[in-house]
Parts: sequence; structure tokens; C-alpha cells
Amino acid sequence: MPKNLKQLSQSEVRLTAGHRLCPGCAEPIAVRQVLMGTDDPVVVVSATGCTEVSTTIFPYTAWAVPWLHIAFENAGAAVSGVEAMYKAHLSRAAKGQPLPDYVSADKPYKFVAFAGDGGTYDIGLQSLSGAAERGHQFLYVCLNNEAYMNTGVQRSGATIMGTHTTTSPAGRVSQGKRVNRKDLTEIMAAHDIPYVAQSSTARWRDLVSKSEKAFAIDGPSFINCLTPCPLGWIYDSGVTVEIAQLASDTCVWPLYEVLDGQYKLTYRPKEKKPIEEYLQIQGRFRHLFKGEEGAEMRKMMQEWVDWKWAQLLKKCGQEV
Amino acid sequence: MSERTLMDGNRATAEGAIAGGCRYFFGYPITPQSHIPERMSLRLPEVGGVYLQAESEVAAINMCYGAAACGAKVMTTSSSPGISLMQEGISYMYGAELPCVIVNMVRGGPGLGNIAAAQSDYWLSTRGGGHGDGQMITFAPWSIQEVYDLTYESFDIALKYRAPVSLLGDAILAQMMEPVQERKPLDAALSQTDWGIGGERHGREKNVITSIYIQPRALEELNHRLYARYAQAAREETRWAELGAEDPEILVCAYGIAARICQTGLELAAAAGVKARLLRPISLFPFPTAPIREWSEKVRKILVVELSMGQFVEDVRLAVEGRCPVEFSGHTGGVVHTPEEVAGVLGNL
Repeated sequence: MPKNLKQLSQSEVRLTAGHRLCPGCAEPIAVRQVLMGTDDPVVVVSATGCTEVSTTIFPYTAWAVPWLHIAFENAGAAVSGVEAMYKAHLSRAAKGQPLPDYVSADKPYKFVAFAGDGGTYDIGLQSLSGAAERGHQFLYVCLNNEAYMNTGVQRSGATIMGTHTTTSPAGRVSQGKRVNRKDLTEIMAAHDIPYVAQSSTARWRDLVSKSEKAFAIDGPSFINCLTPCPLGWIYDSGVTVEIAQLASDTCVWPLYEVLDGQYKLTYRPKEKKPIEEYLQIQGRFRHLFKGEEGAEMRKMMQEWVDWKWAQLLKKCGQEV
Repeated sequence: MSERTLMDGNRATAEGAIAGGCRYFFGYPITPQSHIPERMSLRLPEVGGVYLQAESEVAAINMCYGAAACGAKVMTTSSSPGISLMQEGISYMYGAELPCVIVNMVRGGPGLGNIAAAQSDYWLSTRGGGHGDGQMITFAPWSIQEVYDLTYESFDIALKYRAPVSLLGDAILAQMMEPVQERKPLDAALSQTDWGIGGERHGREKNVITSIYIQPRALEELNHRLYARYAQAAREETRWAELGAEDPEILVCAYGIAARICQTGLELAAAAGVKARLLRPISLFPFPTAPIREWSEKVRKILVVELSMGQFVEDVRLAVEGRCPVEFSGHTGGVVHTPEEVAGVLGNL
């Protein structure tokens, strides 16, 4: 039975206030909502990135749960190691050997990895893929703000075409990033793991219920969560939630899940909005509203969105 | 005097590389050097070059391998943890005798460490390039002009020795700003090497780029070839600079930003009557063994000042071979000496 808003508001705070993420950052919203998805004890593994750095400025920490940092490319590997250790303790306990005092026999631990899009789409894809293939019991959440924000907004494999970043600068000869993002959610679905979902911080019910499903699964699960970034996307920090909502209303970031291979759309906008509505309120796309090349790029982006959306509807068994 | 441009070390690296003929850059973001790939992504398209952002440092160094195999002037830049990831690729590059410029804006280690200035990658650079029997030509600038100049010159040195060349900066040199005199652009065309691969052979013999030598004798031969080049580099590329008292009691050895701090430290100590001289290696490999050895016979003591637990000091001790006592003053983890501290240490020797 999913929890109601009142119950959620009373759930244990696992990422506390006092971290140093930017005002308007979506990442702590995502982390809190994901961790509301279970009452079981959790162990968190974080790869290098904004959330990792800003929540753990030594000697302080904003985490009220056991937490492990690992270098950029290794979240999948490190969470595998922690989970394997835990399973080994349990199997020894099943043979009558005593558990160490830090492992509780009656509470099943949950293992969560948080990493950004740079740490997941790019440098960490290999270790995530390996962990998924080996079938560890863990939830991997990609906090996807579509660029390397921690190091100063460099493009990543998650950055969509037409985006201005510091390493895909828009100017006279360039309309920002020339190639499109890879579809990481589909890559993870292709691992045939029990649960894969795409969510965002716009719709709390969507993200919390997807996390509940992921935590309930015995095996690997993956959530790709869009987390808008006021600094890198260049918008007023008060509209983070609205921007994420527009991403789904324009179908740039559809919300869906794949449970045991079955695709299901979890949000279908009443009216699919044109991509311009999403682009024009973000400074990272400002150049696309100047000149013919910008208009051409916008057209290409709309075609890409339409094409991906039609594909997804087909997979979900919905009419286009 | 011609016009100089105010820039930080990151920008000086990028501009020095472009003027030095580099047209192929493969990078990956990491603090404190992300402004180098950013600058390259802006500048290389303007000069007909190629900027590619890799998906990891492992990919970046191996992109360098590919481009270098064609005889191009290639570069990658990173900071300590990223350089750790590149080690395999660097070993393959010196094994396959490929030129490449690798800039390391060193930050505090080990592990994640921090993003402050450190010199704790001395061993990694001078002993390294990963596994195997090789070393890496390594330069250590102490000013932004020198960052520019050494980057500019490193491409031709890498081609001359068919070997990776490393530059060790640090978080301070990456971000501090000084005026820079830019230099005449060097040849940026694919070099007319007789060993490069790519495209038509036009009747020439087949070129092979490889680091696999199954026959032990053949691999030993490769290592002798590499070491013959290092011996040549020791004769032709060893660089150092000296300043301070002409008849010193104490020789101070420091490189990079630590030497810069020592410069002021020596001035303060001189005012207090300490006669000291600074010897600053500009090339760390090849190492300026001879001048240090020479001074060790004349001075009472040698002081090594270094931003690590003591890595560079080992090479100084090897050069001195017990001729005089070698004292060590190190900070690590991003802690940096003050000139007053250096002067204090000198006063107590």
C-alpha cells in the first residue's frame, strides 16, 4: 500500500538540511524522495559529483545513513562490493555462524547508489553494467542534470543536442552540442533487469512510488531521474519543479517504467507541448532563438522528441 | 616590448599548446584544470583543430594513442586522480614509442584528496607511466610564462624522443594569473614522421605501431632503445635555474610553485644574514644531477622544500650521495609553505 502525503512527511529524514547544494538544486529533492521509498535501513554509495561533494564537506555530513564515497567511475562496483559482503554475512548466519554486531538479522538492508549523469552515462557505465549483469540487489539512481555541473558545466553523454555547455559552446560556428544524448534508460532496460524507470523531481508521487517498486524488487533496479540545475541550465532557482514538469509536458523527458520487461507510461501530458516552451525559459538554449541556424536546430530537436515519443508510446502499447 | 596577455595557467596551457602546433586535444573534466578543455573546445575549432571530450580519462589517453600513432601533435590534460586512470595508456604509449603531451595540474592526494595545490605526483610522473620499464620526460614550470613556454616546446620534444612528455603544474599554477608573452605559432601540420601510420603507404615500407614484443630479446631491445633516448634527453633536455647567494652556505632545492615560494623565503632569510642559493629543476626527468652534485661539495647543507611527504627529495639525495646533509621540509594535502616558514627553516639549519 503506497504511503499518503502525511505518512511521507513523517518518514525518517535520511538526507538532512545543512548540505551545501545550490538553492533550487533538484538533487536533494530526488535523494529524499527516493529514500522515502523504503522504511528498511539503507546503505548509500555515492560517486563523485555535486551531491557527493556538497553533502559531505569534511568533517561534516548531511547523511543520516551509512554512506560510502567512491571515485567517479565506480558506484556500480562499490555498491556490488557492499551488497556482496552483506549477502556473505547472511549466508554465514544461515549456517549458524554469528553476525557481526553492525548487521541486523531481522532488518533487510537496502543498497542504493547515487551518481550523476557524468558518472553514469559516461565514465561509470561499465561498472553499472557489470553490477546489473551480475544481478546484485541494489537500486542505482542517476541524478541526471545533463552535464558535469560539479566541475563547471561540461557536456556529458546525457546533454541533449543544441545545449550550450562550457565544452560545447554556442557561437558563430556552433549551436551548442552537435550530437544527441544516448538513451541510458533504454540501455539499462536492455540489461533485462527487473525494474527500470525514468522519473523526475516534478512529480513526487511518480518518483516515490517508482522507488517503492524498485526497493521491493529482489535484484538490480535503475531509476534515471531528471534533476534540473539552475546554475547549468540558467534559470531562476524558484522554478526547478516547473522546469522538470515542462520536460515531461513537452515529452523531452517522458516518465515511464519497465517492470519485468513490460513498458508502462506513468505520465501522459493532456496536451503535448512544443519543445520551445521548454527551451525558451532556459539560458542554455538562448542561442537557439537567434537566427536561422537556431530555428533549424529547434526543428531537429522537435523531430527527435516526436520520434522518441512515438517509439515509447508503441512500446507502452499506447496510441500515438 | 611587445604586448603581453594576462592569463591563468589553464589558459596558458591551452594557448601554449595551440601555438606549439597542437591541433588534437582529448580531455575530460576534473578540477582544477577543467578550464583547459573548456578553452580548447572554444579555440581549436577556430584554428582548424579537433576537440573531443572523452567519456573518461581512460578514453582520453587512448584517443591520444590513436592520434599520436598518425604522427600528430596531441595533448590531454587532467589532474591527479585522472592521471591515475591514464596510467595504462601512458605505458602503452611509451611502449609503442608515441609522442604526446600530458599536463597534470596536481591536486592533493591520495584518493579523492582535495583540489588544493600539491606536488605529490612527482613519482607518478617521473617514475611512471604505469607498468613497465620506462620513465616520462617531465617538466615543472614555476610561473605562468613558463607554463606557456614549456607546453609550447613539449610537442617538439615529444616528437624528437617519440615519447610522452609530462608537465607538472598544480592547483595554484592552474588558476593564478600572470602576464604572458605569446610566441610564434609552430608547424601544426601532421608531422612528416617516417614512422606514423594512416592512409596510403605510397610505396614505403609498412609502419607498425605496437608495444607487444613476445620475444624477450626483442622487448629487451625496445627497453634499451627507450633508455638510449633517456640518455640523450639527459644530455639535451636537462634544465634548471639558480638564484641567490653566489657563495652559499645552504643550497635550497625546490621545483614548481614551491620554488616560487622559496624565492621570497630566500630574500627574507638573506635579510636575516642567511647565505642561501636556490636551485630549481625545470626538468624533473631528466634530473639535473650534475649541478646539485657540484653544489653538494661546496655547501654546508642542502634543504629540500616540497609539497609532498618527500618524493623529489629522493632524487636530490641520489644526486648528493652523502656528500652533505640533505634536510627536508614538506607540506602535503594542499597545505602550502609560507615564505616566512621557509625563511624560518633556513635560519635554524
